[in-house]
Amino acid sequence: MNALEMSNDGYLLLFHTNEWWKDLGREDLEKYDAQSNEWIEQLLKSGKAAGGQGLGRNGAIISGKNGRNIIDGPFAESKEVVGGYLLLNVETFEEAVAIAKTAPNLAWGTKVEVRPLINVCPAKARLEELKREELATA
Amino acid sequence: MNTSKTQNGFMLLFVGMDWHKGLSPEQTQKVSEDWMAWFKGLMEKGKAVAGHPLGFEGKSVSGKNRTVTDGPFAEAKEAIGGYFMLDVATMDEAVEIARQCPGLPFGAKVEVRPVLPNCPLAPENKVEEALAGAK
Repeated sequence: MNALEMSNDGYLLLFHTNEWWKDLGREDLEKYDAQSNEWIEQLLKSGKAAGGQGLGRNGAIISGKNGRNIIDGPFAESKEVVGGYLLLNVETFEEAVAIAKTAPNLAWGTKVEVRPLINVCPAKARLEELKREELATA
Repeated sequence: MNTSKTQNGFMLLFVGMDWHKGLSPEQTQKVSEDWMAWFKGLMEKGKAVAGHPLGFEGKSVSGKNRTVTDGPFAEAKEAIGGYFMLDVATMDEAVEIARQCPGLPFGAKVEVRPVLPNCPLAPENKVEEALAGAK
């Protein structure tokens, strides 16, 4: 993946999840594992998915001027965090949502957020908006 | 996508989509340019391997009935506005990079999360097998 990726459209699935798998027995976990492997494999083979990964629950949140505030994880067990993502190579919101609806982890309480990848930085888009407003009032 | 490159790397999630609303055009221009320069610099050094802003519109799917709702975000300040994938070995280095985010002085938040080498969501070997098969 390179910088050109910045201009490619597509959709991102963000999986919001707590640690639901801690309550599952071996049988359910095996079933889930098989289902999700198959799901991912099909999407990759068909070219609908370009890649994805799971994210660890440990982490940090940085905020404030010069990044002076740092909250260190891991996040509480019950806290919903982004547990993983999947990049989709599809052209429409409808198709991305249709794929999201087939996610096996939905059955266990995961929420799937569907977001378009854009090629304009939101701050830059805001700047364009401000410029247009100025022109309109000039 | 070179999945092996991001394996054991880190993901930066930029939290907040309203922090730039109060900025002047000059400030907006500056933060936008700084942000692009920051990303390009990280890409050139090989510290970042991918990155993308996200559109504000979104959908959310949840529940056994797979209910779809519009706008997944509780509030714009908690919405994820974009991400970088970092190819760095330690959390410390990822945090150091996150601290350089040009949006921080204006209220942006950066979440730093380790990428799992193997997860049922997307096992590395499956991804690579599928990509090899697709060639």
